[in-house]
Amino acid sequence: MKATQTTHRRRLLLIATFGAAVLAAMMLNTVIGSVHISLPELWSLFLQSSDSANADILWKIRLPRVIAAVLGGAMLAVSGLLLQVFFRNPIVGPFVLGISSAATLLVAIVMLSTLSLGFAGVSPYVNTLAALTGAYGTMAIILLVTAKVKSGVTLLIIGLMMGYLNGAVTSILVAFAEREKIKQFVLWQFGSFSGFSWHELFVLSTLGGLLLCGVYALSKPLNAFLLGEEYALSMGVNIKLFRFLIVLVACALAGLVTAAAGPVAFIGLAVPHMARLSLKTSDARLLIPGVLLLGAAITSLCDLVARQLFSPVEVPISAITACFGAPIVIGLLLKRKTSL
Amino acid sequence: MKTAVVMKMQDLGVGYDHKAVVSHITQEIRQGQFVSLLGPNGAGKTTILRTLARLLAPQKGTVFLDGKNLQDYRQEELARTLAVVLTERNFFGMFTGFDFVALGRYPHTGFLGRLQAKDIQKTQEALQMVNAADLAGRNFHELSDGERQKLLLARALAQEPEIIILDEPTIHLDLKHRLEVMTILRRFCRHQGISVIASLHDVDIASKVSDIVAMVRDSRIIGWGEPEDILTEAMVTHLYELDAASYDRWLGAIEMKGDGASGKVFVVAGGGTGTVIYRLLAKRGFAVTTGVIHENDIDYYVAKAVGATLIREKPLEYISEQSVARANRHLNGNTLVIDTGFPVTDLNKSNLDLLKTCMAERKHIFTLRPEAEARELFGDDYEKLIFCQDELNILKALASHN
Repeated sequence: MKATQTTHRRRLLLIATFGAAVLAAMMLNTVIGSVHISLPELWSLFLQSSDSANADILWKIRLPRVIAAVLGGAMLAVSGLLLQVFFRNPIVGPFVLGISSAATLLVAIVMLSTLSLGFAGVSPYVNTLAALTGAYGTMAIILLVTAKVKSGVTLLIIGLMMGYLNGAVTSILVAFAEREKIKQFVLWQFGSFSGFSWHELFVLSTLGGLLLCGVYALSKPLNAFLLGEEYALSMGVNIKLFRFLIVLVACALAGLVTAAAGPVAFIGLAVPHMARLSLKTSDARLLIPGVLLLGAAITSLCDLVARQLFSPVEVPISAITACFGAPIVIGLLLKRKTSL
Repeated sequence: MKTAVVMKMQDLGVGYDHKAVVSHITQEIRQGQFVSLLGPNGAGKTTILRTLARLLAPQKGTVFLDGKNLQDYRQEELARTLAVVLTERNFFGMFTGFDFVALGRYPHTGFLGRLQAKDIQKTQEALQMVNAADLAGRNFHELSDGERQKLLLARALAQEPEIIILDEPTIHLDLKHRLEVMTILRRFCRHQGISVIASLHDVDIASKVSDIVAMVRDSRIIGWGEPEDILTEAMVTHLYELDAASYDRWLGAIEMKGDGASGKVFVVAGGGTGTVIYRLLAKRGFAVTTGVIHENDIDYYVAKAVGATLIREKPLEYISEQSVARANRHLNGNTLVIDTGFPVTDLNKSNLDLLKTCMAERKHIFTLRPEAEARELFGDDYEKLIFCQDELNILKALASHN
């Protein structure tokens, strides 16, 4: 028992470290940039309102982006964790059910087709709305299918197929689109946490916060679900309700982030592994906070690198997350003797 | 003393969709009973188990658990009454042995599943019950199949159920763990009063641990009862359509028959001296005739089970003239004779005479008897015997002779 207590304390300590990393990353992201804001200056900017250029940079550009990256990273990572447990498959991410491809398709329709002529000038939120429609439309379809289909694998394949279909239509749109529009669209496809308004952030944090609390409430059935649906059923889990809830929450989280920031890749796939392997547990009650904080910290750091690496040119964050994440996951896996 | 009925099946029909797999099951299972489901692959054992565990709805009829319709149970209520152990032993995620077993506390813990002192105690007890206290701190994925299976049993026990339903609990396990699992399950029945329902493949093990065996074949339960009562050679042969092996009720074991392609051998045995050579001859494909064997002799049961032609005598009686005559008729065709070195007494000294006749007819006799004893029994003729040190040497001698 003593040994279990020590490992438990070690895990809590590790989660606290993840938390500290989030704060550190946020701090770095706030001060570093094409315009450097020193710590004393930051302090004074926080305390008193000012009309200086730096105040504008801080309140209109830096802070929204810092918060968006942290929120988005946390939500994507938790969404990935949920689906990995649900499908009991380590190579599943939040977009496996077609959330991002549907969002991309809708955005492609708006950005690439002639429809955009009517919309583009009207509202800057058109892309966000289109992506949200795509993501939640897919989610509705998936929830309907979840109620009908019994096997998780079938659901997984249906999600993959929907992804291919969406991709196919998107590629047709790209083929017919004008060159300038394509570049714009491709950049959107890489995802970015820039350009968030406080209003968007408010929506993202309120809904995201509620969903994340909801996820924690699912900890117990999530743990039972590690043994598969039949064991979960035999232990007293209401499988039908749980399946519905888990798909709903995972898609809702991924959909929100995708709508606001585009399909940011890899966080949802890699972070659950990193958290699981460093915490050495699959207990959702520890893993959920661990994944949430680690997702926030890593996304935030990746965003910093994306901004600074080839400054003033900004690299897509998805490129950084993949370059960062892939070697780490491979390394962690190779260090273990057994598979996940 | 009869214990309370925990599960009752009333005209139960099980199957998938509209395909009936097994129908018309009306039986009772009592507290603390060990019930084994036997039958060929695909007979429907798993389908029955899944229905009894409510992983599958019955097609027809009703299952009563503690007098209440199984379908009327709430999920958590059922989990506190009935636990399952399925064939899957690979799980997603990382847990220690303790974590894994503690998952069985699910129906007893609160909203977030936090373990209270009682849950920790029950988990540790469960680990001890399956001799797996040492696995508590180990990583589940580093364990062998046998060790994992013990943890699966402990997990089921941690649910504190009245019934545990297991699908092929010994499949893919080594001998040590197969026996250990059965011992643990029997302990669950005897000491915890848990009823165990399991599908098994080893008839011999099942006959030794079960209170009840159920034989499933041709969409029906063709036998349900105590193994001592219903596990007969004929039933087992019918159940599995055995042709190259047979079950012996007295040996409680399966013996393999020979195909007879390697030639004919006559074995003169008795007093258990023939068992090893019978099995060896059957394995190497000899058609064995043996006699004269008393019916209470272990040689009799083994010879019968390996499919030998038997010339037999009633237990504890002198070997009769008729038996000797029958033996001689069989010996006519056989030129190869084996003397197992059986102890000679008044009751079976006719067997010695049989050997002497064979010697006179210049038949080849392979013997396991020491030379000194042979000289005493056969006189000067003893040198005609082919002396072999053990059963394997006999087989070598037979081979070089052919």
